[in-house]
Formats: sequence, C-alpha cells, structure tokens
Amino acid sequence: MGRWLLRRTAWGAATVLGVLLFLFLLFFVYAKPQDVARRALGEKASPEVIAQWLANHGYDKPAFWNPSRPLDTMLAEHYRRMLSFDFGRSDADDVPIAKRLRRGVGPSLSLTVPLFLLGLPLALALALGAAFFRDTYIDRVGVVACVLAMSVSMLIYILAGQYLIGRLLRWFPISGFDPDPAVIARFVALPVLVGLLGSIGSEVRFYRAVFVEETGRDYVRTARAKGAGDGRVMARHVLPNAAIPILTNAVMEIPFLFTGAILLESFFGIPGLGSITVDAINANDFATLRVMVYLGALLFVAGQIATDVAYTIADPRVRLE
Amino acid sequence: MRRLAALLLVAVAAAACGNDPYPHADAAARILYVPFQEPPKTLDPQVAYSVYDHEILSNVYETPLEYHYLKRPYELIPGLALAVPEPRPLGDGRVVYRFDLRPGVRFADDPSFALDGDGPTGRELMASDLAFSLMRIADPKVGSPVIETFAKIVGLRAFGERLAKLRESEAGFAALRIDEQYARAGPVDGIRILDPHALEIVLAAPYPQILYWFAMPFTSPVPWEAAAWYDGREGRDAFGEVAVGTGPFRLARYDKRSRIVLERNPEWYGARHPEWKAPAATYPREGAPGDAERGLLEAAGRPLPFLDRVELRLEKEPIPAFTKFLQGYYDRSRIPKESFDQTVREGALSPSMESLGMRLERSVEPAVYYLGFNMIDPVVGRPAAERGRKLRQAMSLAIDTDEFLRVFLNGRGIPAQSPIPPGIFGYEDAYRNPYRAPDLERARHLLAEAGYPGGIDPATGAPLRLTFDTGDTSVQGRLRYQFFIDAWQRLGLDVELAATTYNQFQSKVRNGAYQIFFWGWVADYPDPENFLFLLATEMSQTHSGGPNTANFADPEYDALFRSMKDRENGAERLESIRAMRAILERERPWIELFHPEDYALVHGWMHGMKPSGLAVPVWKYQDVDPALRAAERSAWNRPVRWPAYALAGALVAFLLPGLQSWRRERQ
Repeated sequence: MGRWLLRRTAWGAATVLGVLLFLFLLFFVYAKPQDVARRALGEKASPEVIAQWLANHGYDKPAFWNPSRPLDTMLAEHYRRMLSFDFGRSDADDVPIAKRLRRGVGPSLSLTVPLFLLGLPLALALALGAAFFRDTYIDRVGVVACVLAMSVSMLIYILAGQYLIGRLLRWFPISGFDPDPAVIARFVALPVLVGLLGSIGSEVRFYRAVFVEETGRDYVRTARAKGAGDGRVMARHVLPNAAIPILTNAVMEIPFLFTGAILLESFFGIPGLGSITVDAINANDFATLRVMVYLGALLFVAGQIATDVAYTIADPRVRLE
Repeated sequence: MRRLAALLLVAVAAAACGNDPYPHADAAARILYVPFQEPPKTLDPQVAYSVYDHEILSNVYETPLEYHYLKRPYELIPGLALAVPEPRPLGDGRVVYRFDLRPGVRFADDPSFALDGDGPTGRELMASDLAFSLMRIADPKVGSPVIETFAKIVGLRAFGERLAKLRESEAGFAALRIDEQYARAGPVDGIRILDPHALEIVLAAPYPQILYWFAMPFTSPVPWEAAAWYDGREGRDAFGEVAVGTGPFRLARYDKRSRIVLERNPEWYGARHPEWKAPAATYPREGAPGDAERGLLEAAGRPLPFLDRVELRLEKEPIPAFTKFLQGYYDRSRIPKESFDQTVREGALSPSMESLGMRLERSVEPAVYYLGFNMIDPVVGRPAAERGRKLRQAMSLAIDTDEFLRVFLNGRGIPAQSPIPPGIFGYEDAYRNPYRAPDLERARHLLAEAGYPGGIDPATGAPLRLTFDTGDTSVQGRLRYQFFIDAWQRLGLDVELAATTYNQFQSKVRNGAYQIFFWGWVADYPDPENFLFLLATEMSQTHSGGPNTANFADPEYDALFRSMKDRENGAERLESIRAMRAILERERPWIELFHPEDYALVHGWMHGMKPSGLAVPVWKYQDVDPALRAAERSAWNRPVRWPAYALAGALVAFLLPGLQSWRRERQ
C-alpha cells in the first residue's frame, strides 16, 4: 500500500505540473499580459501606468528564457508561486487572491455541505425504496420521474425555483447571501432545494440500479431464506455490499465541495469560490483563474487517491498494489 | 432513512421562514437598501473614475466643492471649503484660486493614524491634506487618470517627473515614507499653503472649469498616514480597498463581492456641529421648479444626514434585484428591460405599480451617444471634401433615432440634436438639427450629389463599401449596429460590421484605421466645454490620443472653441456655441443619436430622492420611513403555504396504495 500510494502520488504530481504548464501557455503566452493590463486599468491608462502595472504583477519578465538570470522568468515565477501556494494578487483589482479564497470558502461550504449531507442520504433512501418496491407502480413512476428530473437543465431549476418558490410562494429570499447565523439558513434553503432537485434524479436512478443488481444476488436469497425481514435485508446486507459504487460517486464529490457550485453560486449571488471563478473569467483575471484551475486539479488528484483508499476500507478484498 | 430525510427537510424549511433577506432586528432602523451591479474597481479617490466607484467615494470622502443637490442646471456650493473661490488673474496669464478649508473638520477614526504606535486614531483636516491629494494625482505610481487636467496647475507635472527620477536614481528614496518622498520632490510652484487651513492653486492659464474638478472625488483630501499605511503589504489592505475620509458616512464593511455597508460617521463636522449650518451639511431650502410639488423640500433646512446606514448588496442579475425591489427589500431600483412594459406605460408608472405607492423618477443624463466618422479617412472624411460631406449628411438623414430608442432602449432617451445634453448651458430645446430627422428622399438626393447615385460607387460599379468598426462583440451590440447598417442599406450603401476584441479596436483607433464607430460621452462636469472639446483638433485621438475619436479638425470650430471655453455663461458664450453647432450641423463628423434617460423606481417610504448624473453625495440627503416600510413589506410578503401541504398530501396519496399492498402481501 505504501509503495502504491507513493507511485499514485507521483503520477498525480506529474498531472498537476502538466496542468500548470498548460495554464501558463494559455493564460500568459496565448493571452498577452498587456491586454489584461489594459482591461484592468481602463482605456484612459497611460503607457507608464500600464508598464508600472506589468512590473507590479511580474509580467514584465521574459516568458521562458532569461539568459542573464535563468530563474527570473515568468514561467519559473509561475511554478514558484503555485507550488509554494503564494498566489499573489488578482489581475482585476489587486486584492490578494489568498484573502479572496479565504473569504469564499465559507459561503461555498455553507451551500455545498448541506447539499451533500442532505443529497446523499436522500438519494440512497429513495433508491433503496425504489429497489425495494421494484416492478410496482411506485418504482416505475419513480424511475420515470427520475429520468424527467435528470433531463431538465439545472438552469431551468434555478430560474423556475426563483420564480415559483422565491417570487410567487415567497418561502425564501429569491437570491443573496449573508453569513449572519440569524439569516444564513434562509439564503441557503432555496439553492439547496434547487440543487437537490437538479441532482437527485440521476443519483437515485444510478443507486437504484446498483441496489437492484445486488438484490438479485445469492447472498440476498440466503439472507431471506434465513428469515431476515425486508428492511433488514436492504439495510444490513444490500447497502454495505453496494458500497463500492456509492463510494466512487460520493468520495469524488467531497474535494469539490470546496470549489463551490458554479451555477448555483452565480445565480443565487453567493460569494463563494464558484462565483470567484465566474468573475475571474468575466474580468480576464488570469491570476485568479489559474489558481482556481490549479486547486481544482489538486483536489481532483487527491479525490482519486482518496477514493481508492476508501475502497480498501469498504471492501477487505480490495488490495492496492 | 426516509423519515430522517423528511425531518431534515422540515428543519430547513422551519429555519428559513419567510423571504426577508435582512435580520429582523434591522426592520425598525433607518437603513437605505440599494443594490449594486458591479463592485467598485478602487476606492482610491485620486484614481477612481467609474460611476460605481464614485457612488461610494462621494459619500465617504468629501470634496472642497459640491453640487447643489436640487438645483438644475447644476450649481456649485461650498463643501469642505468655506466658499466657492473666485479666480484672481495674476496679469501674466496665470490665475489663482484660494481655498479656505473649514476648520474643525476631522477624518474618520482609523488605525492608520496611530502608525504602529498608540497615538490618536484621528485628526483634523489641514490644507496640507488637500495639497497631498493633488500631488498624488501627479505621482506616476498612483496612476491617476486625470493628470492631463491637473497639469494645468503650475509645476504639478514637473513634480511628478522629479518624483519618478528620484525614485529611480536615488537608492533608498523609494523606501521613504510617502509624505517624505513628496516633501523631497516638492514643493509644487502652483500649490501654496498659506496657513493651516488655506491653500492657493495657481493655474498656468485660465481654466474656469477647474472648479468643477474640485467637486469630483479626485480632489478629495486623503490623509498621508492612510496612504502610507495601506500599501497592500504584510497583510495590510491596499489603499484602494479602504476609505479614510471626512464624509458623512464611513465604510463599515467592504466585502465588494457581496455586501458594502456605510454607516453614519459620528466624526463628521455636520454631525458634530449642526449649528454651523454649513451648506453641505444642511438640506437645501431651494430647488429646481417642480421640486416642492414632488416633496423634495419637505426636509428644507434640516441638518444632514438622515440615514443611519446604507446597505449595498451585489446583484449581478437584474431580475432578482427587481423582484426584491417589488417585495420591498430594496428602496429604489432600475427597471430591467424584461419588466419595462408592465412597469411603465407611456412614460408614466403603470396603475398597478402606482397603487403600491411607488414613484417613477425620470431624468435625462448629462451624456451623449453618437455615431462618429473618422474624419481622416479618404472616403468618409475630410480628404473626400464636398463628396465626403454630402455622404455624411446623407448617412445622417437615414438614421431614425426615435425608432432606435423604441427598439433598443424602451424609449429611454431623447433624440440628440447636438452634442450638448439638456441641463447643460448651450442646450436649446427649440433647436432642431435639419440632418437629424429621417428623410430618405433627401438622403438619396445628397448621395447622388456626392457621386454615389443609388449608393453605387462609380469606381467599382458596386454599392459603396464602408466599415463599421466596434470593439463590442456581444449579441446585443451586433443587433444595435445592424440597425444602423440596415438603415444605410436602404440608401444602397454596403456597410460591413467589423467587430473585433476591444483591444484590437483600440489599436485600430490609435492607428486611425477605422471609418464609422458608435461612441458615448458622459459629462465629467456640467459645462458645454466638456462636450464641445470632443471635437477640438487638439483632442484628436489619432494624433494626440485625446477623446476626439472622429479626428475632426476645423480651424473655425477651434477658434470658436477657444473663445467659448473660458467665457462666463451668457449671451456671448451662447453665440459661440450656436456657431459651433452650425459647423457640426453642416460638417457632420457625428451623427448625434441620443441623450439617455434614467428611469428609477422609488418606494413611497423613501424621501429626498433626486436623480443626478454627476458624482454627488446623494445619501446624506435621502431618508426612509422604516415603519411604513416594515408594514408594506409584511403585507406584500405573506408566504403561500398551501402548495407545500398539497404536495405532501399528494405524495402520501401516491405511496399509500403501494404500502398497503406490500403489507397485505407480507401478512
């Protein structure tokens, strides 16, 4: 396991380094820092102000090769900054990126964590129910409802949710965010509800398929033959045995709780990491965007390793060699 | 499991009762709630130049002069200064303005005044603070966009150059504290500190408009302590992210990605000394005609400000923002395009909105939007002489601005006859530009006279090809420009849309490689000079990087401009403006399109709201009635609960037969 972990980590690191190279080429070679500067400073900025801005951001260095000082290039600086987590300042408004990320984590988590903690048990429960009642009208109508729910775009859920629940029924604020404990639940409720509706269909259908497959296995028949009740069979026998696909799905989601939900955040005006990403794209703020992509890559690699490790815990038969 | 999930859902629903986005404790407070669509770029007064920046800045910082809140045309009143200065010519062409600053004005408390130690956290405003701010405009490191204007102050530009040179040549100079750097590179010949509260500004040549600049945030005094302390290093904020001013409000919270809060500044001179009855700290007793009828003089003579807090929330999408306004959670709102027809009927509020107690505040903005010709272009410009002029005249006659406003702006604007918008001296309501009413007949005639009969270029035998250059690639932009292109097509012209990135467009403009463009100008200050200079030769874009993007160059116009710009408003000035207008009418470097009109919706509980197109500290004049607001809000926002019960009932009804048959089977 130790050697496996080492090898996996090395592969992961290589992937991340490659992503960083790609980011550099895309954001600082293909897109010219001069253009970013002009965008940030406005059309009235004089050439001196632009030169000053480029120097402040370290964009006045040669991109790849500096014969006098080989390590004083934008590429070296890019790797140094990213690998040491010294993210520097936003291209759009000079705010330290680390500070912005720290401010964004809370709002993101207050949306994604409830979404995850409510969504997973709810999907599992509904899927177990459907598998339990399989081939009855409950199951069939349920599956049709799931397919319908998963074919509708998230955007429609957001707009319909805001209009129906926020505007017509007035249950929750239509959008916005406030970390004040007195009001935070009010703001999070609608996006969580919408997020659940948007994601539950596909999850229930997937887990139901897993459960249905498991209920046809021999050990289930054995358990029934021994007199185990329906509920006990589902909860004690089927659920643990279906753990591997559930883990694959669920553990992979955990790292991305931190990167936030891009669509939900930007439509509900939640100032989390997802909307930081959207704002960075809109503002040509490549300094911020590269950090978001880099962190995403890191979390993805970490998530994959965590999933594999989780397998060994869930199923003693799995060995990582 | 199912029960647990249901319980959790119920818990969430219970915790989130109602759609009120604010804590209940705030319901009775005098708080103004306003949305903001874009966060400010910077709060550095010497740098900030966008409306979003100025909206915050003008309420937190103060300027030596301000605009009268109600009177139109705009009128200057003393702000931090005790009086509006009179120009004093020195005889050699130079002009002096003396600013006597009000003694006893204090900066809001801020830790930067203690400078690492335990010193006091605030201090009095001095004339040296105003001098420091003016010097910052010249500091290349600050990067102020208005150095060209303030370089009219004798020696200010040279000061900036000395500063840059010292920073480069002298080791350790750049590490000195900012006030020490300025002291070493100074003094500025044209900024004389006479005593702790008096300061003289010397201009190299007459420029009466300079006083308007002293009503813009660029001249807000900033304390050097804050500029030195907030350098963005070692965890300190950058100076553009904080605000240490003297204004009626102070920045209590600056989370520009979601929420900005201003609260009443107890240190404000108006709050500490209402008995001074300072002009900028007292609600005006006089207004423009009609203001009294609109209830704008109810607070006449009362000390400012009225509000305890201003809460600004980021609302990037217009529809949720408007919905919250309709629910009573914002006090004023713009009208999104999608909701315009249900809100406004024939320029007035629709009856359903009126019954909710709302008001519609319309005001024409001091701005002009226009189509411009590049006058150095061989086909549409001056090189084509009479042919070019007739072509431009014909193209001008083809554009129907009323139709454009109706299609794209819900009619929110008035057709422009000249560059000068209403509310600015030189605007004449009765003036009609003969080339600005659509007349295709005459246009075709002129086109034939220009040598392009039916739009055909005799050189090629095909329709004359022109290019419409833009840096706007959005779909809305394309639709707008297509409107003009279609109009010209009716004359037989073949105009091609060249939409590139903004930066590519900018480089085309720098190189003079463009023919027709769409552009706008928003007044910096309410003077015709600020519009007519857009066509002065010295402002030519391609030759000197100025805002004369049409590269219009006409010696007669220039001479009139020079004689007009420094004159007092009066018959002589009007005469010059009329003559300039006649030149523009004939030469057609621009096809003037429209002056935009701002439609703001205001709830009945909001008082003292008067729209303004300039940077005016509006919030100190505004007020709300929290009791009325709370009552309306609760009446408008009763949650509709029955669908939840119906849904739960339907679910039970759906599951029940299945459960029953399962139970039967088990038995």
